Amino acid sequence: MLKKLTTMAMLTAVALILFTVEAQIPTLVPIPGIKLGLANIITVYAIFALGPLEALGILLVRVFLGSVFSGAMVTLLYSLAGGLLCWLAMLLPRKILTKQQIWVCGVIGAVCHNLGQTMIAILLFQSLTVAVYLPLLMLSGIITGLFTGLCAQLLVNRLGNR
Amino acid sequence: MIRTRTWVIIIAAAAVVFALLSIWMLSAKQSGTIAEVIQDGVILREIDLSLVTREYSFTVEAPDGGFNIIRVQPGRICVSEADCPDLICVHQGWLNNQGSPIVCLPHRLMIRLKEVTAVDAVSH
Repeated sequence: MLKKLTTMAMLTAVALILFTVEAQIPTLVPIPGIKLGLANIITVYAIFALGPLEALGILLVRVFLGSVFSGAMVTLLYSLAGGLLCWLAMLLPRKILTKQQIWVCGVIGAVCHNLGQTMIAILLFQSLTVAVYLPLLMLSGIITGLFTGLCAQLLVNRLGNR
Repeated sequence: MIRTRTWVIIIAAAAVVFALLSIWMLSAKQSGTIAEVIQDGVILREIDLSLVTREYSFTVEAPDGGFNIIRVQPGRICVSEADCPDLICVHQGWLNNQGSPIVCLPHRLMIRLKEVTAVDAVSH
């Protein structure tokens, strides 16, 4: 129990560092909502190595503290919606994926994160216009999700289920 | 268990579909000369870009205390300055009589071209 709590705390710290470092990288493409989502690596790893509830805890703390640290409380709603949908979407494939297919979870998570973000944007803007960027966000979710998913796969391979 | 190759095919197929969809959606651009500045679903200003003769700027305040400075020139409009975290609205550049909307997610601000309805099109 104590060991698990320590692992969770450490993973949260790592996710926060990734989140903060990423926020310093200037945006490469001027499309609203596109980002690399490095902290997704930790979410995918945690959901497989620790379990869904632990992953949710790490996710929520990271999203909240990340918004506080970056001083961008305005983006909290987007991160929260994206993060929660990403987590929900990862629950199902967790059962059907083999140990070598964990990277798929990264793709599904990233795509659903962007979907959740777009949905909350539609609500906040009270307009469907923001949805013109949805296909592009799905595509970027696949690409960034592949990257973060493969990183998580490597982590699981190297660290095992410790 | 689904084989890895199947997952690769599914993901590759989805990527192709979304790539085609984005090309389609972003090339089917809105066109018109009236730009709408919208925040939180409320239209703050409507500017007919074809009637602008000299450059001017105005500031839109965000609910959280932030700001976006919007610059208007003859035939085009952009966000020239903002204090949002990602500055994507600034990097999106100019919106002229054609193009995708400028969106500032943190400040819930959007600049888009007003859709010309069938009736308007006829009366023109």
